[in-house]
Amino acid sequence: MSLVIVYLLLLKATATSFAGMGSLPQIRQDFVETYRFLSDDQLSQAVLVGRATPGPMGAYVVAVGYFAVGWPGAVAGWLAMISPAVLAIPLLAAIQRWLHLARMRAAIDAVVIASAALLVAAGVRLLIDGFQQLARLFF
Amino acid sequence: MTAGGDRSGPSIRTLAAAVAFDVNRTVGGGHASIELLRRTFTSRGWLDADSHGLIVAVSRLTPGTNILAYCVTLGWRYHGWPGALTALVAASVPASLIVFLLTATLAQVDRYAVVRALLAVGVLAAGVLVLASAWALIRPYLVRSARVRALLISAVAAGLIALDATPVRVLLVAALIGLLMPPGAARR
Repeated sequence: MSLVIVYLLLLKATATSFAGMGSLPQIRQDFVETYRFLSDDQLSQAVLVGRATPGPMGAYVVAVGYFAVGWPGAVAGWLAMISPAVLAIPLLAAIQRWLHLARMRAAIDAVVIASAALLVAAGVRLLIDGFQQLARLFF
Repeated sequence: MTAGGDRSGPSIRTLAAAVAFDVNRTVGGGHASIELLRRTFTSRGWLDADSHGLIVAVSRLTPGTNILAYCVTLGWRYHGWPGALTALVAASVPASLIVFLLTATLAQVDRYAVVRALLAVGVLAAGVLVLASAWALIRPYLVRSARVRALLISAVAAGLIALDATPVRVLLVAALIGLLMPPGAARR
């Protein structure tokens, strides 16, 4: 199994998602179903480790890479996780070029407001998740 | 905001330390880490609400893990590409090492009740931080002149979220509303 292929498959998943765990369906499709690089159990364990570890949720791809090809795969997973982030710079530059326009400013303001709404949804989900985990422990 | 344009910001070493500390001490995802970073950088006078909002918008529109895009943009703001790459490494390496070690040792992290309880409390704390982050983002838009527009966009976003629209679609629809609003009404 080529390390480059593992990196490219992981990159495909991370670069086409917009949240840490958003890459999971694509990773399952490629690594479990299509190429059978790892089992469903291994993928579940990777997700569990990623969720239990402080830091970016997307770090679970490091575990996916490790299960696929050992420690070089973990490095490939790390690279696949960080690669899309550098796109933020040209995106920011493009936005800033037009930021002096009132309509662009208004569009960015609207995105920030919508981000807040998305955060409320994510926060509520986390609170529910946390309470459910505690309830399972004590009841 | 330009690359390395803000010389009142942290040194590259301080940036790396702050990012590594704030990003790698929360469970439950990057939104809580973004709130910790916002608090750290605004309390020291390195970041204002407008710049934070812009960086959040860019990070949400960037493919991949939001918190990493946030850190890249934050680092770029103060030190250009060296700052961006330093922040990226500081944000991603500690968590990746922990993930690697846990996976390599096949640790069953949820075997013990006390570990599960700590994780649950961590998730609750992250939830509170995320809600605080949402409030920090929306608060500047709740001034009298922009309140109706902010509430309208929030309502549309909430409706799309309830309909299971993906975050990117929610953001794109919001951007479209922003573009179509008369510029005069859009100013805060």
